[in-house]
Amino acid sequence: MESSKSLKRFIIIFINVVIMTGILVFVVLYSGFKNRDSYRRQIEHFENTTVTMEQVTANYLEGEQRICDVWARYINGKKMTVNEAAEYIRASHVLENTSAHVVLLDSLTGLSTRPKLGTADEYAVSYDRLNLLNDVKWVNEIGKSINITRAYTNPMNGEQSLAFCNKITLIDKESGSEKAAVLLRVIPISELEKKWVFPQTELVNAELSMIDSNGDYILKGYGFKNSSFFEFYKSYNPTDPESSNKLFEKITSSTGSVTMTDSHEQECILAFTPVSATDGWTMLGLVPAKDLNVKSGDRALVAVISTGLLILFLSDLVYVLYFNKRLKIAARRAESANKAKTDFLSTMSHDIRTPMNAIIGLTAIAEKNTADEESTKESLRKISLAGNHLLTLINDILDISKVESGKLKLSPLTFSIVETVENLVNISQPMIKEKNIEFSFHINQIETEYLYTDQLRLNQIYINILSNAIKYTEPGGKVSVDLREEKSDVPGCVRLTYVVSDTGIGMTPEFMENMYKPFSRQVDSRVNSIQGTGLGLAITKQMVELIGGTIDCQSEQGKGTTFTVVLDITAADRQRDDMQLDPVDVLVVDDDETMLATAADTLSSLGATVEQARGGLEALGMIEHRHQSGRDYNVIIIDWKMPDIDGLETIRRIRSEIETKIPILLVSAYDWSDIEDKAKAAGANGFVSKPLFKSTLYDKINALIGKESASVEPEDDYSDLKGLNILVAEDNDINWEIISAMLSMFGITTERAENGRICVDMMKAAEKGSYALIFMDVQMPEMNGLDATRAIRKLEDPWASSIPIVAMTADAFSENVMACLDAGMNGHIAKPVDIKLVIKEIRRIKEDRV
Amino acid sequence: MKMKKAISLILSAAMVLGMASCSPAKQKTEDKAFKPALDTSTSCDIKIAGGYDNFEALETEFERFNAYYPNAKLVYTKIDDYNNMIGTVLNGNDAPDIYFNYSWMYGRDKYKSSIDHAENLADPALKLDLNCIRSNIILKTSDGTLPMVPVFSNTYGMLVNQNLFEKEGLKVPTTYQELVKVCNAFREKGYENPIMGFTKKETTSLFTLTIYPYFFSTIAKDAGAVEKLNSMDASAGEYMRPSLEKIKQFTTDCSVDLKSCDEIKNNYEAVILRFFKGDVPMMTCSGDTVSGTKKRESRSEEFIANSFKYTFVPVPMSDDGAVFADMANLQFSVNKDSKNLKMANEFMRFLITQRELSEMAQNKGLMSPTKDLSFNSMYAAFGKVPESRILSPEVIGVSDDAVVQLRQAGFRVGTGKMTVDEAVASYGKLEQ
Repeated sequence: MESSKSLKRFIIIFINVVIMTGILVFVVLYSGFKNRDSYRRQIEHFENTTVTMEQVTANYLEGEQRICDVWARYINGKKMTVNEAAEYIRASHVLENTSAHVVLLDSLTGLSTRPKLGTADEYAVSYDRLNLLNDVKWVNEIGKSINITRAYTNPMNGEQSLAFCNKITLIDKESGSEKAAVLLRVIPISELEKKWVFPQTELVNAELSMIDSNGDYILKGYGFKNSSFFEFYKSYNPTDPESSNKLFEKITSSTGSVTMTDSHEQECILAFTPVSATDGWTMLGLVPAKDLNVKSGDRALVAVISTGLLILFLSDLVYVLYFNKRLKIAARRAESANKAKTDFLSTMSHDIRTPMNAIIGLTAIAEKNTADEESTKESLRKISLAGNHLLTLINDILDISKVESGKLKLSPLTFSIVETVENLVNISQPMIKEKNIEFSFHINQIETEYLYTDQLRLNQIYINILSNAIKYTEPGGKVSVDLREEKSDVPGCVRLTYVVSDTGIGMTPEFMENMYKPFSRQVDSRVNSIQGTGLGLAITKQMVELIGGTIDCQSEQGKGTTFTVVLDITAADRQRDDMQLDPVDVLVVDDDETMLATAADTLSSLGATVEQARGGLEALGMIEHRHQSGRDYNVIIIDWKMPDIDGLETIRRIRSEIETKIPILLVSAYDWSDIEDKAKAAGANGFVSKPLFKSTLYDKINALIGKESASVEPEDDYSDLKGLNILVAEDNDINWEIISAMLSMFGITTERAENGRICVDMMKAAEKGSYALIFMDVQMPEMNGLDATRAIRKLEDPWASSIPIVAMTADAFSENVMACLDAGMNGHIAKPVDIKLVIKEIRRIKEDRV
Repeated sequence: MKMKKAISLILSAAMVLGMASCSPAKQKTEDKAFKPALDTSTSCDIKIAGGYDNFEALETEFERFNAYYPNAKLVYTKIDDYNNMIGTVLNGNDAPDIYFNYSWMYGRDKYKSSIDHAENLADPALKLDLNCIRSNIILKTSDGTLPMVPVFSNTYGMLVNQNLFEKEGLKVPTTYQELVKVCNAFREKGYENPIMGFTKKETTSLFTLTIYPYFFSTIAKDAGAVEKLNSMDASAGEYMRPSLEKIKQFTTDCSVDLKSCDEIKNNYEAVILRFFKGDVPMMTCSGDTVSGTKKRESRSEEFIANSFKYTFVPVPMSDDGAVFADMANLQFSVNKDSKNLKMANEFMRFLITQRELSEMAQNKGLMSPTKDLSFNSMYAAFGKVPESRILSPEVIGVSDDAVVQLRQAGFRVGTGKMTVDEAVASYGKLEQ
């Protein structure tokens, strides 16, 4: 899989690189083509310029030669002597830097038109040692061609010069005979060089030379080396004699260009063209090839394109890699979430099947044992427990669904914290008992009994934390709960601090980082069997935060965990009246010092006189002593589990040894249902669960001493519900039967509509006030609950259209709740229905209607 | 452990010693490296005038100079009829910055201008490393100034085909006896011409080349003889007798085939091409001729077909060994009126060093004027000649005219046109 991905990545990168390379190759090739084309045109241009220079040169040479020709013709025509000829030219010669020499061929001496350097009148000139005029075959007849010497040193002034020549005939004055002579029009090369440069600025490094048919320089540019161009070429361009001879023939006979290497070993272009009107001379132009082959612009273009493509490629690559990384993370998360959900479903399947097994199995047992009432009752009790467990599971799922969609809402109402704690202890007892865990529950300063918040959520918070502590504590371990009331910073509130400590498996720091996330459960070989949804802590934290409290956890793996929940809860307006007992003497017996102290405080605050005994034997002594002195205690409160003799034994001895009828309350933090019979037999008058709340003690003591307490149990009075008539839209017969029976227990009458359509029809036909509200199932034949609700809301009768409608459905997810509310319903109760919730909902609706 | 410690101590000591011994040497090298004294961006044309048609070795050298002064440009100009024209050129519009000069022009009115225009190169302010040049060929004027410094030197000797010597198991001779033996040995092995040379004209003929150094060794310490020879006194002819007799003896002892030698048309290219045929173990010639060998290797079909190693050695005409006739070949002067005098001097300061002179001489194929001749293997044998046997004709002071008499006499005796007695008697009257 991984290698396949790598292969795909490689292919994509490869394709990108191929495309980029293709573009670059194209650009380079195209640029190269353009360069070559440009280079070729530049070479042509250079050739043309050389030809132009040749024409300019030829014109110049012809012009100079023509002057020489004119002089020669005149001299020949006039039959002059050397002196006369020199005098004639001197007279007609006006250019400052040029001169003319008339040289007799027999002696190679003659006269110059200008005096020798450094003299004023020395005009004699000798070419005897110059090897220039020894052979004058190259000097053609007048007007036939340009007759020009090689560069030579002017014997009169030492300047390097060229001379245009003509053969002339002079007369020897003495003998009168004719003498062959040569007329030289001498021009300094420095003068020529001033004119003889390439005109274009781009050819600043180009140089010119002129060679004769043997390759010898007539005029030599700086870059041309050796005394012969052919030698120069051969020195730096090794080639075989045949090839070089062919090349030299080509150079001296045609116009064109070739590439050659100069003395600096740089590639040059040599342009050549014959000089017209000369005898086999060739004009040569030499320029470094790089001067013609300007590529910098193209290089910049290639560089820019390359860089651009590279940046594009890299940025795309980085972006794609980044995007892939993000996708991978998302995929990993999805995978992880999926796995978590799979695990969750697997767990759920297990968790549902277990109680379902109990329900089905126990139902079968109950059916077979219908004659045995006790056995059937026990089976039903256990079925109920299993059902409740199932409900808890489903509620958890609903809660997390609400939490995740942010639709978890509080439903505050007035409740008793005492009731809540009792409920908490009661719920915990079976597990504590099963696991044989040492359990203690201390309350502290609980002065405000009635509070106003969402009791259900508060219960959930407290139960979740406590049940976790019990769940993750091994048998024989210890779980303690501390609940205290403190003054809150929030006006009208009390601060409840709920601390649950256990000696359980604890948590790793890594787990603690994620423990509030859904579906997370601590893994430990010792707790593999622990059942749970992994949603509890997530829900708890959300709820704590929703109520505006804090949750804190301290844990050490292997040592235990302490959860602390701090909540500021509004104190209810209604509180118990001032609870004061008639003067009574109370003996509290317990081995737990804290318990003794809190009980003593509570009883004292109720106006009782309290004595304490730290064990059964001590208590017996104190009771006996009081009995003998005729001052019996009014009430004795004895803890069940004590180290020397337990509560039951103590009661038994009190009754047998002292023979007193003092009311005795047996106190326990454990489930005392198992010992109820034994306790009654031993002589206990009542039972009270730890922790000992003020109101509980007040009620119990008053009950024992024969005085009705003024306890107010607002939640247990259902008289307000009597006579209510509710319309239940339910297609399922069993469900209808259940809800109908349940509501009838509270004196509520019900009417049934088998589907939405019937429900709407019944509402249309109903008289005002016929129904207090409607419980509406959602999924029904013909017309579902949502459509029925919408139809009812559209009824003309204001009473009918505004009747409270509460969904009662197995569609229990948050989106289902929202769909119900959107359809116009006023509330939502999930199946299986909790009758307490149903009653609560009825009351809420009723109150709202009022 | 102790061993390791000892080794590390030894290595450390060696390193310290090595560093100590290396540092001064490095310092010395750095000190000798050329450091530009002018603005390196200076732009100018340095005109150098001479009699050579072209001077590629100088161009190459100038390119090395261009590494320091990239904008300085060399313009070399060949002057026609150089010796006669240079005076005029120096006074004209085309006056060069540096020019060829020759010490034989000292004291001659005709060449006065060439000497007068020259800067005194012995001036310490110029910082020329004159010590690298053999003192024999640094020739000052009578008033102690140094108008020119040699950039090439010349001598006479013979090209030796090393392959033939190796093939025949013979050693290059260092004394006259050895020379005779080697010649005979080659003859015996079937070599028709163990030694050859140009004999068509007296100029740098085989006779001059062989006898010239020998002659100077016979008169070097005899000031009276030099005086007499220079005065063209007829009796001075006797001073030539030993040398002329040696010529006769040499041609006989070494079986020199004059007829074959006569077939060599000139004293330069023809000599080289004949030698490149590969059948002549020894070929007399001057350093000037040697300078042309490299270029002509590719022009000789025989040499291309059968190339061989060769070198240039002195001809041992004496039993005591060979004499190295040390002569300045080409000298440079700086025009003191140069428009680019500073740059011209800077180039001279760059050039006049052991390394640069050796480089340029090697490129030209001529002998370097420097004391150390090992740079070019072709001339290395001359560097091994003891100082006592290195003689400079110009230091000895024999005039050109006297040398011409010797040359003529040697040629005539060698070719059999005169007897030794006739030649001796003709001293002062022999004409070219």
